[in-house]
Amino acid sequence: MDTATAFGKVVSIIKPFVKNTAAFNAPTDGTRIIEDLGVNSARLVDIILAFEDEFGIEVDDESADRVRTLGDAVQMIMQKTAPAH
Amino acid sequence: MQGVVSQAFTLLTYYSLEAWLRFRRYRIPDQGRIRTEFAALVGDRRGPLLVCANHLTLIDSLIIQWALAPGWRLFVRPGWFFWNLPDKYNMSVNPFVRVLGYFGKCVLVLRKGPPEEARRALDKVAFLLSLGQSVLVFPEGGRSRVGRVDTRNFMYGVGRMLQETPAARVVCVFARGLGQREYSNFPRPGETFFIRMQRVAPATVSHGIRADRDLATQIVRHLSEMEQEYLENAILDR
Repeated sequence: MDTATAFGKVVSIIKPFVKNTAAFNAPTDGTRIIEDLGVNSARLVDIILAFEDEFGIEVDDESADRVRTLGDAVQMIMQKTAPAH
Repeated sequence: MQGVVSQAFTLLTYYSLEAWLRFRRYRIPDQGRIRTEFAALVGDRRGPLLVCANHLTLIDSLIIQWALAPGWRLFVRPGWFFWNLPDKYNMSVNPFVRVLGYFGKCVLVLRKGPPEEARRALDKVAFLLSLGQSVLVFPEGGRSRVGRVDTRNFMYGVGRMLQETPAARVVCVFARGLGQREYSNFPRPGETFFIRMQRVAPATVSHGIRADRDLATQIVRHLSEMEQEYLENAILDR
């Protein structure tokens, strides 16, 4: 999976939780999930769990806490789905 | 330190607040039975206790504390004088409220703050529970904007509290003024309150944040079921 595909999936997962739809019209790696998109911090847990289900990964608390932007989410997903060497 | 000070002023704090509640002509029918029921649910065993309640007004914690135990009981059983987690903003309206909050075992938390603030609040709760204290929390995370137990937009912090203190006993309390239609700052004067409680034992095979959500969902579901009893009674009383 390439980063563009991951980004597209991240965006579609987050979409139902977004309150600031204007900021969601042109999402970038730097778009902040809580501050820019208006996602409730409690719903961030639902988003992380949706990432787990969609990508078949397990997200520990420390990794979840580091997800602040769409780019952070993509980076985490790419790391956790990378083939083990 | 706050616990020691609160303990010393338990009777003054409790009976001052009770005087204000009576001044507002609030009533809790069958209060004796409710207090007996709570004592039976909690028992003589000391240890961490998590009281989870629905949330509609700014003084729900006062109503619940008043409903469940008389002041003298809190003095001899300080573990029944619940710690609370009110919003820092709401408790900062004036110095009197802040002082009252200190004596009333309030641990101020910053709602809708950064994740670090949430973590800090959870750490405080874990610390209090580790000391065998009782904490009253509102799993919905704030006053319900839908006028009912919000089963769709609640927080998962109570799930994390249970994961971090698995030995905590859990009592769900549903409290609502009979005339309360939606959330408000205060119940209307002369309000009569419906109070129900239930000891629950949420469990999960999940771990991490999935377990947080699972446990919190079970708690909120219990509150919603207790609310259903309230609604059915309200229909019958009409």
